[in-house]
Amino acid sequence: MRKILFSLIFLLFGISASFSQSFKTEEGKATFYSKVPLHNFEGNSKNLVGLINLDDGTVDFYLDLETLDTGNGKRNKDMKLALETKKYPFAEFFGKLVSDFDPSSTEIHDVKVAGTFKIHGVEREIEVDGSLQMKENGLHVKAEWMLNLLDYNIDPPKILFIKVDKNQEIKIEALLKPVER
Amino acid sequence: MATTLFISLFAFSSTQAQMERQRANPDGPVDEIFLTKNIAGLGTVQLLEKGDLNSMIQHNFGDVRGGIDTFFGIDEGANVRIAFAYGLTDNINIGIGRTSREDNIDFGIDYRLLHQTKSDNIPVSLVLKGNLGIRTQKEAFPLTFQERLNYLGSVMIGRKFSESFSFQISPMISHFNTVVRREANSELYNTVYGLGLAGRFKINERKSISFEYLPVIGDRISATKNHAAMVYELETGGHVFQMFFMSGRWFTEQHLLTRTETNFFEPNFRFGFNVNRVFGLL
Repeated sequence: MRKILFSLIFLLFGISASFSQSFKTEEGKATFYSKVPLHNFEGNSKNLVGLINLDDGTVDFYLDLETLDTGNGKRNKDMKLALETKKYPFAEFFGKLVSDFDPSSTEIHDVKVAGTFKIHGVEREIEVDGSLQMKENGLHVKAEWMLNLLDYNIDPPKILFIKVDKNQEIKIEALLKPVER
Repeated sequence: MATTLFISLFAFSSTQAQMERQRANPDGPVDEIFLTKNIAGLGTVQLLEKGDLNSMIQHNFGDVRGGIDTFFGIDEGANVRIAFAYGLTDNINIGIGRTSREDNIDFGIDYRLLHQTKSDNIPVSLVLKGNLGIRTQKEAFPLTFQERLNYLGSVMIGRKFSESFSFQISPMISHFNTVVRREANSELYNTVYGLGLAGRFKINERKSISFEYLPVIGDRISATKNHAAMVYELETGGHVFQMFFMSGRWFTEQHLLTRTETNFFEPNFRFGFNVNRVFGLL
């Protein structure tokens, strides 16, 4: 009995391994670009976590917002307060690939994903254009979109009494490695 | 056995669901044990991050007992220290300051050996602080360069006990190559020890009430008192303002230990305020 069950479990593992086309990273890059009159700055993180499953087209990304660094301690604090990172530590996207992608080709594919983006406790349905490229060592992902702070009830922080532009450009880039089971 | 099978089946299906959200650095260092590098005059374990430049202007005035005649000390003129500090690394800060009293120019360094972590694996932050002052004022009596020097060494140990309360103790030693006798029978010491105590009560993310108390341990110079201050701290976008009542006249700890002549608890103190502004240079 025991032998049979073991073989069954092994078989299940085996099936999923041969069919699974999941790719994952925990060190993707995320950047936002902020504009203030006469003064621009950006925030960077190398802790973007992402999982793409090509079998069912699931795209799942999240970022610990406290890992964003703007290169200035006080500005980091202003950013964390504006995003209320103690209450809402993550920015998250969960959705599906809605355009075709051929994993057997190594060309850069322009793709579209649609899903739910959540930050500051507010969820919105968004569509993001990006690119996917199958490389030898994994799946390379790039995407950028505009985020309107007011859409997510984020009060743009002030720098010297001038508010940061409500529109923030977001860019992500990551190399997702095949998930082995 | 059947349960195991169930669990493994369940695990397969759950790979389709969202990943569990995990904090990137759950055992990272705590942030903001204190609001800035200084309270009123006492240094804190809070250091500047790498590449940050803090510019600071510190002022205090005459003691408030002058009453309305001196507008509670404001008419007596300010002692002003202008200072810059820079984060060479996240753990090493350097600084330079100039105090209008005695034209004292000081050079400082802070070196953080321990940084309190969120998980309490490291329960305290520990920073070594050194300061070298040079009294550059022209004197009626000749002083050599050596005779103009004063020093401070301090071990600052601070802990954030909760989101709203931090506390620090800082045993310190000060040394002056020259001490000036003001009265015929006054006792003088070149080296004086002290124990700095400081605390911060956070009102909200932008406001806090802090205090500092610096009792002399062991021999003290005649007629000096222990320095103390009560501080209201306010952070606005980019600036930290600190408004306080303090008994000491200085902003360097070696002088606060050896030159404070008003007793905060008498009560007698002076009004003062600091303005801090941080610039990111990288």
